[in-house]
Amino acid sequence: MGVITISREFASGGDAVAGLVAQKLGFTLVSKKTVTENLPVFMQEGSSAPVNPKKVSKNPYSKEYINALHEYIYDLAIREDLVILGRGGQVLFKDFPPSLHVKIAASKAQRIQRVMRHYNLGEEAAQKLIMEQERTKKRYLKRVFGVDWASLHLYDLIVNTDRVSHEDAADIIVKAYRIHGEYREVAGPREALPGAAEREDEGQEAGASFMHASEEEFARMLDFYRIKWEYEPRVFPLEWDSDGNVTEAFAPDFYLPEQDVYLELTTQRQKLVWKKNKKIRRLKKLYPDVNIKIMYSKDIKSLLRKFGMEEDLS
Amino acid sequence: MGEGLRVVLTEEEIKRKVRELGETLSRDYQGDDPVLISVLRGSVYFAVDLSRHISTPFTLDFISISRYGGNANPFGIVRITKDLDVNIASRHVLVVEDIVDTGLSLNYLLRNLKTRDPASLKVCTLLNVEERRIVDVPVDYKGFDLPDIFVVGYGLDYNEEYRNLTHIAELKRPGR
Repeated sequence: MGVITISREFASGGDAVAGLVAQKLGFTLVSKKTVTENLPVFMQEGSSAPVNPKKVSKNPYSKEYINALHEYIYDLAIREDLVILGRGGQVLFKDFPPSLHVKIAASKAQRIQRVMRHYNLGEEAAQKLIMEQERTKKRYLKRVFGVDWASLHLYDLIVNTDRVSHEDAADIIVKAYRIHGEYREVAGPREALPGAAEREDEGQEAGASFMHASEEEFARMLDFYRIKWEYEPRVFPLEWDSDGNVTEAFAPDFYLPEQDVYLELTTQRQKLVWKKNKKIRRLKKLYPDVNIKIMYSKDIKSLLRKFGMEEDLS
Repeated sequence: MGEGLRVVLTEEEIKRKVRELGETLSRDYQGDDPVLISVLRGSVYFAVDLSRHISTPFTLDFISISRYGGNANPFGIVRITKDLDVNIASRHVLVVEDIVDTGLSLNYLLRNLKTRDPASLKVCTLLNVEERRIVDVPVDYKGFDLPDIFVVGYGLDYNEEYRNLTHIAELKRPGR
């Protein structure tokens, strides 16, 4: 499965960026918090050599703790796509083909400012905290893996958050992961992954042909807010003849899978809408579990007005 | 009052409701040291007034996200244009909105904030327009339910106008 490892300088914003990357790709985030919560359970129930977690030293350098941690992460990576924050992921997955190793950095001056703000510290104390944290990171990588944390060769991509927002940094990493993945498909020994085109396109239904400009506009708006949608994915039979052939059916314009709701856009004048309303009433009666909302011309106009757009989609 | 404006909520009605909400929040967040996140720019007026009625200690912060602009930027995606200054991990977070209607931007914002591991995440809005909802979003505290009308004032604008009104009014034919 896919793995993105994110190593970060203290106060570079790496934690926030990792969270956003995981959210954007739908990957599971492995952080200190998730490890603390899940590792004891794994030690007892999932490990190849189960142990009582209470008997395992809490010392992060103890051999049994390190072994359990690494087995836990590898085990998770077999089953899920991961964004791994810290934990030496860049070394653990160094030779794992579907992985991208990222380092998040920022200038010392910026990080001092951030630490002063976040922890309400003076400049000297902030500087000291940064130095302490970095010493800990260096020591961990050196003692556990024997590598130099500062080495740039451990990473495929380094993002400096001095001038790049967390959101943009996450977008850069997502894009890099996808490009990296496509390169693998061409050059690597692994079999080609299906659906590369879909993964490339943030919006869904690339090439969906819309019946009306307002539908296209609406789809763009959903894409903008990262709401997943499908265009006319399902036809609901409404009437049948005596032979059981469908004589009337209705296909709502959009389906939002995350919301489990169908949306029907209608730009017809109110007095011409009765036929559509009748179909929707019938649909609700025949399929009571289906959630459907209708957006009338006035709703679409108020939406456009809300976004300060011209009312030219009549 | 300008042409085309019809008063929907008077200054007194708003003041009363904001005080009530402040009192409720003071009780519900007693001792939690919550982070109030005002979503720029519309909610600033409400957030500031609301905060004056919150008697328990809190932190106030601001966030701003880009808004859909149609064909002007057809391939854009929503972005945070001004991020929080405080770290909300393990904090009780209350998003303060002026209005929740389609739920599109709030849905994005909540998804984004959730990734930062707050202890709790709730929403307080002055105005709620259920009729315009496209995606469901949780609204934990609300001032007023409104029908699908275009309103301005008390922070809500139309092309940057009318924010300064002390009441909330329906703008009948905007731009004309």
